[in-house]
Amino acid sequence: MKNTYLQISQMITGALVAILLAIHIAAQQSYVVLGLLGIKVADPTTWVSMMERAHQGSWVGIYIALLAFGLFHALNGLRNILLETNLSASAMRILTGCLIAFGVIFLILGTYTPIALFSSYR
Amino acid sequence: MSSDAVKKITFRVQRLDPEKDRKPHFQEFILPVKRGTTVLEGLLYIKENLDSSLAFRTSCRMGVCGSCGMLINEYPHLACHTQVEEFHSDMLTLKPLPNMDIIKDLVPRLNTLFEHHKSVKPYIIRDDKEEMEKPTAGYLQKPQELDEFLQFTYCIKCGLCIAACPTSASDKAFLGPQALGQAYRYCADSRDEGRDQRYQIVEKDHAVWNCHFAAACSEACPKGVDPALAIQLLRKGVVAKSLGVKKTSAPASLATPLPQARPKIEVPEFTVKQK
Repeated sequence: MKNTYLQISQMITGALVAILLAIHIAAQQSYVVLGLLGIKVADPTTWVSMMERAHQGSWVGIYIALLAFGLFHALNGLRNILLETNLSASAMRILTGCLIAFGVIFLILGTYTPIALFSSYR
Repeated sequence: MSSDAVKKITFRVQRLDPEKDRKPHFQEFILPVKRGTTVLEGLLYIKENLDSSLAFRTSCRMGVCGSCGMLINEYPHLACHTQVEEFHSDMLTLKPLPNMDIIKDLVPRLNTLFEHHKSVKPYIIRDDKEEMEKPTAGYLQKPQELDEFLQFTYCIKCGLCIAACPTSASDKAFLGPQALGQAYRYCADSRDEGRDQRYQIVEKDHAVWNCHFAAACSEACPKGVDPALAIQLLRKGVVAKSLGVKKTSAPASLATPLPQARPKIEVPEFTVKQK
């Protein structure tokens, strides 16, 4: 039932990416909307605000989760598209391996910065 | 058009003789048609009067056998089930069904359709092998249980759904709406116990999860079957099975033979002695 589990994961990660992206966008843009309503909040796009968020465990968790779910959703989606290109089974296995390797490398690279920043603060 | 009025129409037919032609070309035939003339009747007229070398499949002439599927004005139809006047045009373009190899002219190679159909085990599977081999009685089935799959039994394997399917066009290994629809038909049958075996087959690559749900198959089906719905229900079943939330019910039981029922007729002896 490998493909079914992958498909269920694809749907769940899609929903999670939408939720986490909504949080991210709201955090980045809410100051504009609040500013229009006369409520002054700090600009979240400044270096100071970014560093502040990088030192909060909840934000680090959100960004790592967004990266992990986004990578899985995108690479599994790409694999589904490639499956329809009539590649041989062995070529597909190699491609799947490459996609997994790509995902793992980018997950490590992407999580390194927030973890390093968070650790340095503590 | 009155029933006996005759008008001329042009059939633009795609021709391909693999022994002579390197690529398909079109040939035009002008033929008389009247109200109610079907595309198949037009093709038979061409074969009998204009060009006997034209190749196409036909058998029942009443939308039952599924032989005469072809592209008529770029859409899959059964030629026997389609009247010329439906198109309100003086020219019809006829091509063989796409997403399949061409044997000759309007004759597609249906091997893949039947191989895929066979691969999903389109028959009742029971754990009781003895009863399967030598049935003693029929299985009991409620009308509601029959309704679960009845519409999918109307499939005539004409291949129009595959011709209309965008996934079949791009993915040659895709099982296709016909085979997946039939997989659901047997999975939904209360007499069947082979659901898990079929779920294993349709769960693989190029199968149930590769359907894009364009629903072109359901639109093209001349018998009103809804393969897109079958694929969605099949997905539901596969997911429920994977998550372990599938409700399992006992398969249909054997009907007790009535006491007054006549005994089974004995199979006569072979008249020619076997070695």
